[in-house]
Amino acid sequence: MATESDSSQGAFSRWVDSAIESPEKVYRAMFYVVMLFFLFTTLFPFYWLLVLALTPNEAITSFGFPPVPNGFNPEAFVNVFTTVPFHVYMFNSFVLGIATTAVVLVLASLAGYVFGRLDFPGKGPLMLLILAVSYFPPAAFIIPLFRLFTGNISLLGVSSPNLFNTPFSMVLPFSALFMPLSIFILSTFYGQIPDGLEDAARIEGTTRLGALFRVIMPLSAPGVATAGVLTFISVYNEFFFSFLMTSGEANNWAPIVWGILSYQGQYTQLYNLMAAASIVGVLPVAILVVVAQEKIVSGLTAGALKE
Amino acid sequence: MATTDEGIRDSERSGAYVSAVRWMENLSDPQFAYLLLTPVLLLLGLIAFWPLLSTFRMSLFADNLVGSAALGEFVGLENYVALLTGERDALLVRPFLDPSTPFRSALTVTLIFTLFSVFFETVVGFAQALVLDQDFRGRRWVRVAIIIPWAVPIVIQGMIFFLLFQPNIGFLVDPLQNWGIFSATPLSNPVDSMIILIVADVWKTSAFMALIILAGLQSVDRSLYDVGRVAGASKYQQFKMITLPLVLPSVLVAMLFRTIGAMRIYGLIETVVGCNTVPSLSCLVVTTFRGSRMYGTSAAVAFITAGLIGLVVSVYIVKYADTETGA
Amino acid sequence: MGKVILEDVTKRYADVTAVDKMNLEIEDGEFVTLVGPSGCGKSTTLETIAGLTIPTDGKITIADREVTNLPPKDRGIAMVFQNIALFPHMDVYDNISFGLRLRDYPKEEIDRRVDRASDIVQLEGMLDRMPDEMSGGQRQRVAIARAIVREPEVFLMDEPLANLDAKLRVHMRTELQRLHKELDTTIIYVTHDQAEAMTMSDRIAVIDGGELQQIAPPLVCYNEPANLFVAGFIGSPSMNFVEGEVTSTGLSTPNFDVEFDPGQLSGVAEGDHLTLGVRPEDVYLRQGSEGVANPTQSIPARTDVLEPMGDEIFVYLLTGDAAEPSMEADPETSKNQLLMSVSPDSDIEAEQDVEVVLDRERVHLFDTETGDAISHTLEFPATEAGAAETETEAEGDD
Repeated sequence: MATESDSSQGAFSRWVDSAIESPEKVYRAMFYVVMLFFLFTTLFPFYWLLVLALTPNEAITSFGFPPVPNGFNPEAFVNVFTTVPFHVYMFNSFVLGIATTAVVLVLASLAGYVFGRLDFPGKGPLMLLILAVSYFPPAAFIIPLFRLFTGNISLLGVSSPNLFNTPFSMVLPFSALFMPLSIFILSTFYGQIPDGLEDAARIEGTTRLGALFRVIMPLSAPGVATAGVLTFISVYNEFFFSFLMTSGEANNWAPIVWGILSYQGQYTQLYNLMAAASIVGVLPVAILVVVAQEKIVSGLTAGALKE
Repeated sequence: MATTDEGIRDSERSGAYVSAVRWMENLSDPQFAYLLLTPVLLLLGLIAFWPLLSTFRMSLFADNLVGSAALGEFVGLENYVALLTGERDALLVRPFLDPSTPFRSALTVTLIFTLFSVFFETVVGFAQALVLDQDFRGRRWVRVAIIIPWAVPIVIQGMIFFLLFQPNIGFLVDPLQNWGIFSATPLSNPVDSMIILIVADVWKTSAFMALIILAGLQSVDRSLYDVGRVAGASKYQQFKMITLPLVLPSVLVAMLFRTIGAMRIYGLIETVVGCNTVPSLSCLVVTTFRGSRMYGTSAAVAFITAGLIGLVVSVYIVKYADTETGA
Repeated sequence: MGKVILEDVTKRYADVTAVDKMNLEIEDGEFVTLVGPSGCGKSTTLETIAGLTIPTDGKITIADREVTNLPPKDRGIAMVFQNIALFPHMDVYDNISFGLRLRDYPKEEIDRRVDRASDIVQLEGMLDRMPDEMSGGQRQRVAIARAIVREPEVFLMDEPLANLDAKLRVHMRTELQRLHKELDTTIIYVTHDQAEAMTMSDRIAVIDGGELQQIAPPLVCYNEPANLFVAGFIGSPSMNFVEGEVTSTGLSTPNFDVEFDPGQLSGVAEGDHLTLGVRPEDVYLRQGSEGVANPTQSIPARTDVLEPMGDEIFVYLLTGDAAEPSMEADPETSKNQLLMSVSPDSDIEAEQDVEVVLDRERVHLFDTETGDAISHTLEFPATEAGAAETETEAEGDD
C-alpha cells in the first residue's frame, strides 16, 4: 500500500532513497513484480484464445505483440456448436464426470469408513496397495483393458461384453484411477467424527451402514464435496482413456477430448473455432475453481501430504 | 409396550432384509471391513491389478503380426532384451532407446521431458508458493488465477500451445526464429517441440507444486522467524536456514507426484505435436499396439514404464526418509 | 418388564480382558450404577448391554428376551452418552425424533412424543435450535429427551454428567432422580464418580479389573464393603487401611494394637495377616469420644496437616514413635498415616500430640492377601466374654 502511493507520486529518486533505508520496501516491490509476472503468465494463454476466437478466421495471420483481435466476430462461439456437435461432446463429458463422481463417492465412502474408523489386520498394506493404483501409468493398463472392452477376452467360453464406445469403458477406468485420492480424503474426514455420534445413531435405530450414510457422511459434507469436485475435474481433464476408449464420434459417448481434436483433425484451418471451443470447454472447470477453490486446495494438499 | 411397538414396525419389513441386516451387524470389525472393501477391491482388481499382471504376461510373448491370435509363442524376457539392445527399433515407429538420437527415442525423450519439466515446475511452483504465502489484498483471486491452468483439460492445454506456436498465426514463432532459438516449423522439430511441451507442462502443473509447497510453508511455525530475526538473520538467511530445510519434505513430495505425472506424458504430446515428433514411452505403447498390433512389444514397453516409475518412487522415498531423519 | 440379566458376560480383546465373567441381575424399574476407576470395564459392560460391543462369551437378556447378538436398534434400549453426541447437523426436534423417524412413526405420534419428552426435560420453545447454539446443560437435556422419546425398556447412561461443570452436575443429578421416579423405567448408569453413584442409585455395582466386586445398595457398599477395593473406592475421603498380624489378643500393627478375640472370627488364626480398615469419621480424639460406646484403647499420634472443609476438618495423623511428618500423602501406602475427621468447632492444631480412639463397632477387617472382608465390626454380639475382656482392658488403660 505504502509502495503504491509513493510510486504514484512519481518521485522515483525519493523512493530509491527510502528503499535503501528500509529494505522491506524493496521486498514488497519485488513481490508485486513477481506476482504480476505470474498473473500474466498464467492468464495470457487464455487471452490469446480470446484474441483468436474473436478474430474472423480469414483475418487470422501473424499477430504482432501484444496480439489484439483483428476484427470482432462473436459468431465463432455459435459456430463452435454447429460445425461439430460440441455441446454433445460436452454433455458426454458431464455425464461421464457425474457418473464417475457418483460411483467414486459411494465406493470411496465405504472404503473411507473402513480405513478411517475400523481397525483390522492388514489395514496399512491394503491402504498402500490401493493408493499405489493411482501412480501406475495408464499405459500399463490399457492393452488388456482395451481388449477386455472390445470383447476380445473370454472367460469359460463367454467373451467379455463390448463396452467400447459406451460410457462404461470410461467410467470404470476413471473410477479406479481417481478413487484412491477420494478414499484418502474421505477416510481422513470420517475418522474425525466422534465415535459417540455413530454409537448414538446405532442406538437410535440405524445399522452401521445407516450411521455412515445418515450421520457420518452428512457431517463430513466438506470432505465429500472436496472428493467430488476433485473427481469431477479429474474426469473432465482426463485424456488417455477418453481418447482411446471411443472411436471419437459424439454419439459414441466421446468426451470433449474428441470434440476439440475433431477441429484439429477435420477443420485444420478453423483456428478461431479451435480457440472458441477451447474457451467454452474451459468455462465449466474455471467456474468450478472459482466456486470451490478452498476445497480444491485442501483436497490436493491433503492428498499429497499424507506421507 | 415399547418393544412390541418397535417390534411390529420391524416385522413389517421382509424377513430376508432383517436377517441380512442382522448378519451384517454381527460381523466383527475385520469381517465388516473386508465386506465394505469388496466392491472397491473388485473394481480395482478388474481395472488395475488384473490388467497390470496381464500386461506383464503379454510382455513375455512374441508379437503375432499375422493371423487372428493376439500373441505368438512364449519368449520369456526376449522382448525386453530386444527393446533395450535396440534390436526391436527397426520394427517400431520410433526407436525405444537410441542414444544417438535422444529426441527421437522413447526412453530418452521421456527422461529429458521429465527432468526439465519437473525442475522448472519446482522452481516456478516454489516462487508461486512464496507469492501466495504473503498477505495482500486480492490474494484469493491471484490464487484462483494460479490454480486455473491446473484445472484446464489436457486437450485444451495442448490446443492452447498448438495455437501459440502455429507458424501461420502465432506471434511467437517469427521472433523466436529470428533470434535463432526456434526453427521455422517448431511443431515438427523434435527439439523445439520438446521445449514447447516443457513450457506447456510447467504452465499447467506448477500450480499443483505451488499448492503443496504453500501448505508446507504455512505449516512452518512463525515464531521460528522471530527467533531468526532476533538472532540477526537477514531475509535471505532466514529463507535459506529456516524456510528451505523445513519445506524440503513437502517439496520432495510434490516433486514425486509431478515426476510420476511427467513420466506418463501422452495427451499433451498427442494434441500439440503428435507422437511421431516427440515419442514418449506412453506414445510408444499406444502406437505399437494400436497401429502395429505388436502386443508383446507394446506390453513390454508399458511394463518398463511402470517399472521406471516404481524405481523413481523408491528413490524419492529413500530421499524423503533421509530428509525426515536428517532434520 | 425391563429386567436386565447378564450371565457370565466376557469381553476379550487381543491382549486384554475388558470384562470377565460378569453376572448381573437388574430388576425392572431399578436404578443401578456401574462404578469403578477408569479402565475397569464398566463402560465395556454397558456397551455389551447396548449392543455396541458384542461380548466374546456369555448371555444378555433384556425384558425376558435374549439380545446377546441383536444389533443395538432391536434391543429396546436408549442411551445417553458422556460426550452428549447430539447430531450437530440437526436441530433439536430432528435430534429428538431421529429414532422415531427411522422407524417411520406417523407424524402426529412423533410430534406428541417429542412434545411430551421436551416437556419432561424442560426444553419448551427450543425445538428449532441447533445444538451449537445451546449450553452444555441444555444439550444434555436434548440428549435425555432423545432417549425418553423412544419409550425404551431400559435407559443406558454412560457418564452423562462427566462433561458438565460441577454446579450443573449436582443439579442434573437431582433432575435424573426426578426423571427416574417419573418414568419408572430401568436405568443403568455408568460413572467413575462414587459420590454420583451413592446419591442416585438403588444399587451400586462396583467393578474393578473387569470383575464385579460387589453389587448392593449404596449404604451397604459403604458400611459393609465386600473387599478392600470396594472399601477404598466408596467413600470420600477414602478409608484408612493399616496392615497387621493376628495375635492371641487381637491385631498387632507396627504402631498400635487393637484387641479382639480371634476365636470369634471363623477362618482366622494367630499369625494371619489382616488389614484393618476404619473410615475417617470413625476415628475420634480421646477427649470427646464419650459418644462412642465401644472405643479401642487410645493410640498416641501427632497431628500433621489440617484440611478445614467447612462442615468438618480432616486431620492427618502420624502414628508411631517416629511421628515424623511424612511427605507420603497417600494413606493407603503410608503406614504411619491415619486420617481423622473432626467437627469444625474442634480447637485442634497442626503438630500437636494427641490420643485417638477408633469406634470398635465400625472397624473393618480384611484378609490382606485376598482382600476379602472378614468382619465389619469388632463387637461380636454372640459372645459377651470377648467384649467384656476388651472393655476391662480399655478401662484399665484409662
